[in-house]
Amino acid sequence: MEIFVLAFFALGYLVLGGADIGVGMALPYLGRGADERREVIAAIAPFFLGNEVWLVATAGVLAGLFPELEAELLSGNVAVVVPLLLSWVVRDMGLWLRGRLPGIRWRGFWDGAVVAGSWGLALSLGVLLSDVLLGLHGPVALVPALLVAVVFGAHGLAFATLRLRGELRRRAAVLSGGSGEARTYALTAAALVAIGVLAGLRLPLTAGPTAALLTPVILVVTPLLVAAQAWVWWIFRHRVTGPSYL
Amino acid sequence: METVDLARLQFALTAGAHFLFVALTLGLATLVAVVQTWATLTRNPVHQRMTRFWGQLYVINYAMGIATGLVMEFQLGLTWSGLTEFAGNTFGASLAIETLVAFFLESTFLGLWIFGWNKLNRWAHLAAIWVVTLTAYASAFWILVSNGFLQRPVGYELADGVLRLTDFGAMVANPTAQVAFFHVLGGAMVTGGFFMAGVSAYHLRRRTAEQDLFRKSLRIGIGVALPATLFTATFGGLGFETLQPAKAAVWSGDAARAAAAQAELAAAHGPGDYLPPAGWVQAGAMTMLIAFAVMFFFSGLSAVLMLIRPAVRGLRVWHWLLTLMIPVPFVAMLGGWVFREMGRQPWAVYGLLTTAEAMSPLTPTQMRVSLAAFVTVFAALIVTTYALLARAARRGPDAVTLGDRPIDAPSTEPALSL
Repeated sequence: MEIFVLAFFALGYLVLGGADIGVGMALPYLGRGADERREVIAAIAPFFLGNEVWLVATAGVLAGLFPELEAELLSGNVAVVVPLLLSWVVRDMGLWLRGRLPGIRWRGFWDGAVVAGSWGLALSLGVLLSDVLLGLHGPVALVPALLVAVVFGAHGLAFATLRLRGELRRRAAVLSGGSGEARTYALTAAALVAIGVLAGLRLPLTAGPTAALLTPVILVVTPLLVAAQAWVWWIFRHRVTGPSYL
Repeated sequence: METVDLARLQFALTAGAHFLFVALTLGLATLVAVVQTWATLTRNPVHQRMTRFWGQLYVINYAMGIATGLVMEFQLGLTWSGLTEFAGNTFGASLAIETLVAFFLESTFLGLWIFGWNKLNRWAHLAAIWVVTLTAYASAFWILVSNGFLQRPVGYELADGVLRLTDFGAMVANPTAQVAFFHVLGGAMVTGGFFMAGVSAYHLRRRTAEQDLFRKSLRIGIGVALPATLFTATFGGLGFETLQPAKAAVWSGDAARAAAAQAELAAAHGPGDYLPPAGWVQAGAMTMLIAFAVMFFFSGLSAVLMLIRPAVRGLRVWHWLLTLMIPVPFVAMLGGWVFREMGRQPWAVYGLLTTAEAMSPLTPTQMRVSLAAFVTVFAALIVTTYALLARAARRGPDAVTLGDRPIDAPSTEPALSL
């Protein structure tokens, strides 16, 4: 059961967080000017806070249920985890800060931070996954990592197609073609889930003794967490019609 | 510096930065929630503008709290794998509960509150800020349960070289955690109160527009700061009752007591230096106590002055001093935290695992690069955030963008087209 709890939050992050990472990666392609980019960001704005907590929750589940694995996975991959965290911080702060001052250079700089941070996140997650999946270390791990990053990017484009309108939506639909937007999203989501499951199967997943206490608690609160998120998805289910707060 | 010192420095800087931002987040969230409740009940435009203005400052501050917090969460496994492996089965439980029960909801509802402005029903929007506030308290509580365990381990057994939790209730009821929670909560209210009063005083002194809004805010800020200062000091005093013997001995400055504590620990754990660094412990505590005295005196005086209408309108010396007081609670928070955490040394889990044993097997180069990278990025972002916070505070309610238009209004086009 503990393994399913971990998988639920980790895969949830890959699918939900993967979408906002992918949109960030594709930001220069989707939005050609500061105003267009602002509208593209509005596609992920209400979701990115709620999406990234799935990774925080994954870390929490690791700390509580699999402390040995947590220690091994994080401290054994310093060269990946540090860039991952820095990218995450830079991406988030780019999103928060871009709209705080009016200047075109200010916005350009923080939009750059969003793009760099999103690529950094995708690549470092890719390196981490390919390390677990294929046991590859060092520069050679960048090849599978790049593939994973491409999946994140495609997933972001699929999500953007579902959220944007007009010219922005047409740009985002470059991969969907005539095959339907939701279907493309389902496909990229399935690809991320598959990568996550395959990596997860290779982890030494033996739950610690605290599981007996924690697992029931987690099983009780999880429906509540999903319901809260579902409310957010429902409130922001319509396409973006203009810039958001960010 | 040795690798373990670099790791400690990295964690201390991350946690210290996090502490600065979350203290204000926690205090300001409560104030914003109360003001928004009033605004929702009365539909008074002044209170609605107050909600947006203080809410905007809250959001600017909040972003860095998240950024530093998530890095800290991962640093536990990254640089302190010895701690996670040894004690993860105990304090990991409260960390897990914190992320799932508290932070997950806090973040989800914060998004709803920020982006759902003028979109959600006003009662639902009010509920969102209250969920954010209460889950922020819950978050602080569970983090301090974890910290309390490291300070004073209870409810565990040692088997096969690792700790196991045997009594979850004892870990939660740990007085070292409970007292610290109320102390930190009070400290956050002091921080929020002085911040609100200080920013309001700036606008009153400069005679900017919205004098009415800032007179109301000034009274709320001071009205919270004085009782919160007393509340915090009460629990701080109780906290002195729960000090570890070595910390208490070093703080007292009594050489005989310190020698006795050292001898007792050496007898139990073998030869070694078991006393925390006296300079840090005493400086931390003194900083906190002096800051408390200043805040207590000044909030008491201000509580009287705020009842005198001409003073609120035009006593500019007082306004100026109130603005200068904004950093003092932050200094007190950091002082108290240095006292608590430096005083725990050389232990990561008091009496069970030393800080050196808690460290991950990282090379000095890995640690140096990691430290340099985090310090550079965080320093730049912290300076930027504080500059923006000051700018938004100075510009006043007219420049607020939070909740200024219906965001992302519904369109007639369906989102899903299969």
